[in-house]
Amino acid sequence: MRFLQQSSQAIGYFWGVLGTCLGSLLISPLRNLVDLSNVALLYVLAVVVMAVSFGRGPAVVTALLASLCYAYFFVPPHFSLAITEGQYLLAAIIMLVVALVVSHLTSRLKQHADFASRKSVESTKLYELTQELAGATSPDAVIELTTGFLAASFGACQVRVYFPGDFESASGPASPALLKQCIEQHELLSRPTSQGRFYALIPLAAASSSQGVLGFEVESSTLGSQDAVEHIETVASIVAVALERSYFAEKARQTEIKHAAEALRSSILSALSHDLRTPLTALVGMAETIAMGKVPADKQQQMLEAIRNQAVSISQQMTNLLEMAKLSAGKFKLNQAWQPVEEVIGATLQQVATQWKNRTVTVDLARDLPPINIDAVLIERVLWNLVENAIKYSPADTPVEMLVKRVDAEMEIAICDSGTGIASDNTETLFELFQRGKTESEIPGVGLGLSIAKTIVEAHGGTITARNRDGCGSCFRVRLPLGNPPCFEEMDGPA
Amino acid sequence: MDMETILIVEDEQQIREAVAMALQCEGFNVCEAGTASHAAVQAAARQPDLLILDLGLPDRDGVDFIRDYRAWSTTPILILSARSEESSKVDALDAGADDYLTKPFGIAELLARVRALLRRRQPDQQASLPTLLFGDYLIDCVNRVVTRAGVAIHLTQIEYRLLAFLAANPGRVLTHRHLLSQVWGGQAVENHQYLRVYVGHLRQKIEDNPAQPRHILTEIGVGYRFQP
Repeated sequence: MRFLQQSSQAIGYFWGVLGTCLGSLLISPLRNLVDLSNVALLYVLAVVVMAVSFGRGPAVVTALLASLCYAYFFVPPHFSLAITEGQYLLAAIIMLVVALVVSHLTSRLKQHADFASRKSVESTKLYELTQELAGATSPDAVIELTTGFLAASFGACQVRVYFPGDFESASGPASPALLKQCIEQHELLSRPTSQGRFYALIPLAAASSSQGVLGFEVESSTLGSQDAVEHIETVASIVAVALERSYFAEKARQTEIKHAAEALRSSILSALSHDLRTPLTALVGMAETIAMGKVPADKQQQMLEAIRNQAVSISQQMTNLLEMAKLSAGKFKLNQAWQPVEEVIGATLQQVATQWKNRTVTVDLARDLPPINIDAVLIERVLWNLVENAIKYSPADTPVEMLVKRVDAEMEIAICDSGTGIASDNTETLFELFQRGKTESEIPGVGLGLSIAKTIVEAHGGTITARNRDGCGSCFRVRLPLGNPPCFEEMDGPA
Repeated sequence: MDMETILIVEDEQQIREAVAMALQCEGFNVCEAGTASHAAVQAAARQPDLLILDLGLPDRDGVDFIRDYRAWSTTPILILSARSEESSKVDALDAGADDYLTKPFGIAELLARVRALLRRRQPDQQASLPTLLFGDYLIDCVNRVVTRAGVAIHLTQIEYRLLAFLAANPGRVLTHRHLLSQVWGGQAVENHQYLRVYVGHLRQKIEDNPAQPRHILTEIGVGYRFQP
């Protein structure tokens, strides 16, 4: 900026000298045709033009040179600086004074105009900063935007916000004492750094409390004028307000998370108290009855079988709880691989067959299904949970159906039963944590299976929906994106 | 028949005692260890016929223990692991363990696995015969032909090698890596997709219902198990 100004001034002097000399030489042959006073007016015009275009300095030089040229070329005796008649001298002096006054006025006007346009650019930038800061939701985002703004507008580097808590540990260009002084004096402090630049500190005062101190390093000239300091102070107050707002936004978010965690904890507690304590009570009761030794042998066998089943079911619910804790902590990584979907379905059904020996699960696989990119262990959990649900919530003599087909660019796995179906207003909330078809149900479970399924399916970029069937019972549909399976070169001949 | 000795290495006393009691009721000799160092001493002194090993031992990583043990013994090892230990399960099998059970497991399942492992250890009279039998299938290893009830089944080279290797190791968990190195060779051990695709083809050809296979069972996240 400064360099540009200097070079435009130099051009002004150059044009001032050259124009005046050339103009004088060109008009001098006509000196007998043009009246002397008109010539003087021409010189005044030139001075005004210079003042408007290049400011005071070139205009003054032009004015001085103009009076010399006027005396030399036009006032008799020609080609001499001597002025013999008093009126010509007066004219020359008046011309010089008029030129100086006009140049002074015009250059002042120009300064004002420049100042106004600079101010308008500054306010536009400030407005933009305010708008950007309005979108920042965390203190870090505010600091990042501020850094960018200061670098772009002032060429500032080493931008840092010192929060009140960090004052004691402040190091580098800002010392704890300097920061405290800055807060106490409510004004911009600066001190020189090694490379002839200045490190500036300005307090960030917001409505409720001080947000800290903003520090940055700039050229010494940036802090030179009162005008610039005011501009920096305006920036600081905008940043302070934004910091305060982001701090409150952050606090609100944390409170919300805390509330959600609280709600989760209480539903875990209620789930544990009913759904795990009931089977445990039964277990203890049955074990004690057998220990008394009065149960007939066949009945005893039956009860032992029941104890085993209860224990297995508790263990599965524990698995679900742990799984959900792992999934909701967001620490799980998908271990995806391309594989035929039959692989996972087969493994699931193998598990189901060991647990429920008497239930049939029919499978209807569409022909020529492409391989799918999934984490087999997790998708098996999904299918297991859905099949387990279908088995638990439908009569023992009805089959559970599994239908697999391609729907557009997705693979759909539907698991359908002939049970009681879902209460119609329930299809959305069903997938939430600890939601059960019926509260206080006699069917064991804690209401985690479906939310585990949903979390896993969504991590795969798929969807899961529940709907009642037309006849009776319900269908759960898992849709997984197919993608483009890699080609396998078949470098394989007949055996 | 001699009573076979089984060494149980498990740090949870309740599980150790439950397993020991079940095995004793079935007529096995049982010795117990709660740590890896104690287990090493017991294994050397008692020369067990089978090792039941929990992967989560307090003093040492179970997988390291298997590697050291395999340096001097071929005694079958049955792993007990928690559900969340998928990868360590695979590591243990790759290190030389023979089978695994996920906690909580049923005692009936445990006994079945124990018997299968011990049976495999006995010298096999069938071993010298160049044919493998399962269901109504017959694999003729000399002529490289697979027939079902006398009807030849057309398999590709790789499908044949895969089936023959699976059928030669009935009841045993074979990890993806193990199968890949045996069927494709050492450089292919990371190409799990290959294996899955070929197992899919093979199931299409030999299983009545490929989605509910009877012979080639998937051990999800681990590998395959062949069931005759």
